[in-house]
Order: sequence, then structure tokens, then C-alpha cells
Amino acid sequence: MAEKAILYDATKCTACRGCQAACKQWNENDEYIPTPSDREGVQAENWGSYENPPDLSPQTWLKMRFTEVDKNGKVRWLFTRQACMHCTDAACVNVCPNGTLYHHELGFVAYNKDTCTGCGYCIDACPFQIPRSTRNLLTGIAKADKCTFCTTAGLDRISAGWEPACVKTCPPKALQYGDRETMITEGMKRVQTLRAKGYNNAYLYGEKELGGLHVIYALEDDPQVYGLPVNPQVPATAIAWKKVIQPIGWVLGALTIVGLGLNFLIARKAKMSRELPAKKEK
Amino acid sequence: MEQEVERYRKPTRILHWVHAGAFTVLFLTGLVLFIPQLGFLAQDSWTRLIHRIAAAIFIIAPLIYIPLNWKSSWKGIKEAFNWGKDDFGWLMAAPGYYFLANEEAMPPQDHMNTGQKMWWLMVIVFGFVFVITGIIMWAFKTVAPPALLQWMVLIHDVAFIVTGVMFFVHIYLSVIHPLMRPLRTGAWSSMARGKVSAHYARSHHAKWYERITKGGEIK
Repeated sequence: MAEKAILYDATKCTACRGCQAACKQWNENDEYIPTPSDREGVQAENWGSYENPPDLSPQTWLKMRFTEVDKNGKVRWLFTRQACMHCTDAACVNVCPNGTLYHHELGFVAYNKDTCTGCGYCIDACPFQIPRSTRNLLTGIAKADKCTFCTTAGLDRISAGWEPACVKTCPPKALQYGDRETMITEGMKRVQTLRAKGYNNAYLYGEKELGGLHVIYALEDDPQVYGLPVNPQVPATAIAWKKVIQPIGWVLGALTIVGLGLNFLIARKAKMSRELPAKKEK
Repeated sequence: MEQEVERYRKPTRILHWVHAGAFTVLFLTGLVLFIPQLGFLAQDSWTRLIHRIAAAIFIIAPLIYIPLNWKSSWKGIKEAFNWGKDDFGWLMAAPGYYFLANEEAMPPQDHMNTGQKMWWLMVIVFGFVFVITGIIMWAFKTVAPPALLQWMVLIHDVAFIVTGVMFFVHIYLSVIHPLMRPLRTGAWSSMARGKVSAHYARSHHAKWYERITKGGEIK
């Protein structure tokens, strides 16, 4: 099946945060009102920006990021979307011990909250710092959460043939949803237009990053200006540990059991052949 | 009645079994994150909770034992680091012994033979590795830099593989290997009852037997 993707056009976004609200509402994260004493939430506060709540949380999967850049004495007010980028080379899928995070047949990274063990490896591995978790530090009881591309069981918009909630609600059509190929073509067109208008650094983020993201950003400037990692990578420790050390462990464990079994058979025979003549002498 | 000599005092035996039990639980609750097919057992964090309870026992048990048994603790630690030419000889002769039951080439051993010392040294070294990396992942999960936490997972994993494999070898060589039978005389007996037969002590730990009997018979 053709892979799907979201195309986010930062230059059309008005940062109305309608997507943020629609995401909470559709995914039933809307009942959550953070309080200062609630360590699992991120308190919305007046901190001199429309960016609120100030960070993602297990109940906030999508947040608009506001960046102010000083350019020749003029303020540029840039908007980006902060949510799961749905990577092809997804670090979180790589480190997830039991397939709770997995690639949906349409390419993006789906998440089955029921089976999450709360190990938090995805949180440490994500190059975009997206997954968040509730966590009891003493007992270690924890659950991660992140954008599921609106495929949460029971709330699955995608299999119903609908676009994700954030896309549905976007008034200026800064968010589009469709076949990934089409989204890339559309995004490239937009970037060409921006370059023609004098935005020389205009860039399509996610076309090639991490094997291709399933949330693609059309940006009017370099990714780092927006606070996005340039050339993000799956951490080497995550690869070494899952792809090298664990398989070595399985092989060593199996070889040990087989080796001990063989030793048992050989040694038993040797022991018997040594005991037999001794018994005969008696 | 055959004469017997004491090999492990009761507090030492209790520590051994408490630690062995804790390690078994830690091993199994760690294994569920290591084998993807078992991963479903870990869901909802229950294995992590059990892992932490066992970890607390794993840490606290020696912390209680050591101050109450200073002399044995110190003697035991010195023993782990006391290596000589008979250890080399043991390593050379071990394949012949463990595969072909060839006892003649085995050099005389002290209180612990070379294999036991290797395992005991690993328990000390990897015990620290487990506890340090584990505490960082437990207490500093939300504040430590992600890269550090990933290294802790990786090191914890390597320690798990090495000690897990040697844990099998330890059990095998103590109670399953054909030469360890019958169980009532040797290694099993030393940890279960604390005593081994004088004959076993003389044939398997000649240097130690010599020392405790001052060259003569048991008092």
C-alpha cells in the first residue's frame, strides 16, 4: 500500500493552535487540566509566548513551537509543529523491547499503549525528543505516550479513510494529508515557489531525513533556525545494543546450553568408563 | 560415619541463597526485555516492580552481611584476588577433567578452586556494575542525559549476558555435571549443609585441607 504522510507548510501556518486542540479532543486527552502539583503534566503558564503548554507531555502529543529570530533588527516569528515525525528509520521502534511501537502498514509509527512496559528507551532514543511518559520513580510503573497518527484503537481515523484530526481542523490548509509521494511533490513545489520569492534557504524537511519522515515540513529557512535537528540520526548506542549485543547474547546463551549438554554426555561416558574397571577389580 | 569439615558458615550460606534467589528473579525479569517474544510479560511495568524489589534485596543482603561478618568478608575478598601458578595449571587441566574425568593433572587447590574463584571474582565485579548502572537508571531516569541512560542500558545488558551465561555454568558445574554426583559429598553439600566429607576436601582442595588440619588429621 502506498505510504501516507502529513505535509506541514510552515509558511502558511498562522499558529492558531487549532491542531493542538483538535489533537487533544479527538484522542481524548482533553479532559486533562494540568496543575502545578501534578508532576505528570506540563503546566500552562504565562511565560511571554503563545507557546503553551510549554512542553509536550503524555497528554499533549502535538504542540506548536514559536521561534523568534532576530534578522537585521527585524523580528521573524517562525512557527513549527512539534509532534512525532513518524520516521522510517525510527529509533523508538528499534529500541522498543516488545513491539509496542511499530511501523503501521502505511509507513508511520503506530503505538499500542496497552502493551507498553514503560521502559522509557524510546524517550532516550528519539532524535526529536517526542515521546513522554507518566512515571513513578520509586516503583518504575510508567506508560509512554506520543502521537499515533490518529490510529489509536477505537479512535482510528486512518482506517476509516479520514485524515488525522490535526489536518482536518487546519483553517489555512497548512496541513495536508495524502500519499507520501504526492506530499513530497507538493512540498517540493512549495519550496521552489519560496526560493523563487527570495527565500534561498527554503527546504523540504523529512524527504530524506532518517530514511524519510512521514511528517514533512516545508520551511522557508534552514531547519536549525526552527530548532529542528539537522541530519538527525538513530543513536549509535541504540543500534549497537539492539542489533549487535542482544543477538550476541542470544547466540552465547544458546551455545552455552548446547555446550553444557554436550559436556554432560561426554563427561558421563568418561566417568562411567573410569568407574567400570575399578568395580571389576573388586 | 565419615568425617566432615566445615566449608561455609551459616551466615555465608544464607547470603549465598538470598543472593542467588534475588539474582534468579532479576535474571528472569530482565530476560523479558531481552527476548522480544517474552516482551508481552513486561507490559504495564509489573516486571519492573518485581525487578526493583529483587534489586533492593540484592543490594541490601551483602550490606547486612559484611558489617556482621567482617573477617569472612575480608578473607573472601582477598581470596578472589589471590591468583598463583596452580590457577594456571588448573585452567590447563580443566578441559581434561571436566570432559574426560581425568583427575590426575589437576594441581592442588586452596579453599576455592580456580573456576570457583573466577565466578566469585565475576560476582564481585559485575555486582558493582549492575548496581551502579541500575541505580542510575532507577533514580536518575528523568534527569540524567539520554545518552548516559542509553550507555547504562548497554552496560547493564553486557553484564547480563556475561553473568547470565556464567550463572548457567555455575549451576551446571555445582550440581549437574556428572563428576559432581553424588550431591551429598561435594559442592552442593558445602552450600546446602556447609560441610563436605574429609575425603572430598582432601582430593579437591588439598592445600586448604592441609592448612586447616595442620598437616595431620582433623582434630
